[in-house]
Amino acid sequence: MPQVRINGEVVVNFDGSSPNLLQFLEQQQQAVNYQCREGFCGACRCKLLNGQVSYLQEPLAFVRRGEFLPCCSIPKTDIELEIPK
Amino acid sequence: MAYTTFNRNINDQLKEPMFFGNAVNVSRYDQQKYPIFEKLIEKQLSFFWRPEEIDVSKDRIDFQQLPEHEKHIFISNLKYQTLLDSVQGRSPNVALLPIVSIPELETWIETWAFSETIHSRSYTHIIRNISAEPHKIFDDIMLNERILERAVDVTRYYDDLIDGINLYQRCGEGTHQINGKSEQITLRELKKRLYLCLMSVNVLEAIRFYVSFACSFAFAERELMEGNAKIIRLIARDEALHLTGTQHMLNILASGDDDPEMAEIAKECEEESYAIFMRAAEQEKDWAAYLFKDGSMIGLNKDILCQYVEFITNSRMQAVGLKPRFATTQNPIPWINTWLVSDNVQVAPQESEISSYLVGQIDNEVDTADFGDFDL
Ligand code: FES
Ligand SMILES: [Fe+2]
Ligand SMILES: [Fe+2]
Repeated sequence: MPQVRINGEVVVNFDGSSPNLLQFLEQQQQAVNYQCREGFCGACRCKLLNGQVSYLQEPLAFVRRGEFLPCCSIPKTDIELEIPK
Repeated sequence: MAYTTFNRNINDQLKEPMFFGNAVNVSRYDQQKYPIFEKLIEKQLSFFWRPEEIDVSKDRIDFQQLPEHEKHIFISNLKYQTLLDSVQGRSPNVALLPIVSIPELETWIETWAFSETIHSRSYTHIIRNISAEPHKIFDDIMLNERILERAVDVTRYYDDLIDGINLYQRCGEGTHQINGKSEQITLRELKKRLYLCLMSVNVLEAIRFYVSFACSFAFAERELMEGNAKIIRLIARDEALHLTGTQHMLNILASGDDDPEMAEIAKECEEESYAIFMRAAEQEKDWAAYLFKDGSMIGLNKDILCQYVEFITNSRMQAVGLKPRFATTQNPIPWINTWLVSDNVQVAPQESEISSYLVGQIDNEVDTADFGDFDL
């Protein structure tokens, strides 16, 4: 079960009860921006500081190196992410 | 240099830059330099919708019962959106097709602009329904100072680019005597105009629409003008895709991978890019003030809307590699996101969904007859 470190503080297990990382973060009461929830608008962009995610569907939004889209991904390894402020 | 509709040069399309290379000859997608643009095309096609499929009949009654200041908010936003989509329905084609050099991007531009024509037609659908005199609303767009003010900045960068392309494709680089006037153009200057034009388009689609979107959804949160909100959701979904397309173009250009000179130009244009974003944000705040000049609406007022403009401007700036310039870091109207989610947007291309639209229409008729004497 991959561990998710959020903003350098909270560490939570990704236990599979959320279909994607955006829902997972929302369940942790983290405010993440979103719009489409389908990988094409880019609103949910977060920083991936460590680890890898796998995409459930190929993201159409522009993703810079070191960023990822939580709405259409799940952790592949333990990850460390940062929600932009 | 002159544009040709079927370039006879046998070229390797995979080696062409996105813009200002050889004009496209064969529209082929078996090989692609940037497959993302074909994916955007497919997504856009999967979004296809027609305004006539959305039942707006209940909106007529809602609209009649809105207080005057809310009618002003509603109509003014529609006028502004009509302006924006009038521009967007033609300008990507006119400005970008003469200079694009790869087929998947050419077709994305055409697909993009086509979807804007659906938006334009939807405004007529909405306005015909709420007003017995739709011409008065449309006629005012060309007379309304607040809208015209905006039109200047919305169109300026397109027009500069188009003007430069015309000169360049006719006469080439250099200084030319045109109708007794001396005009100068270089390819580098054109690239700069292209980059700024894309920035300004991104601002148009990623920021300028959102004040209006917020108002539409604020009405719908009160179960008012819901047909309109349904159409606006479809428009917002399309716009989210368009702004992604433009962000891809901007970021590919700025990376220099496509054309090394473009990376320099992106750097050179940084200050002006910031200015384009900041100016648009200020104009949208002024627009919010104009909308609410005679009173706010439930759930929204000028200050909240201005904060939202700042929030969304920050996020759009970051998407194209600029630093956020506003202090606002929280979305002041998080409920708007639930209206912007794409998966529960109802489209009606299949039969089953068309019938659900018909059911909706019948329901609406029952509603109005049953509650005729009551305040809805
Ligand atoms: S919410 Fe649109 S890309 Fe994630
Ligand atoms: Fe549009
Ligand atoms: Fe658009």
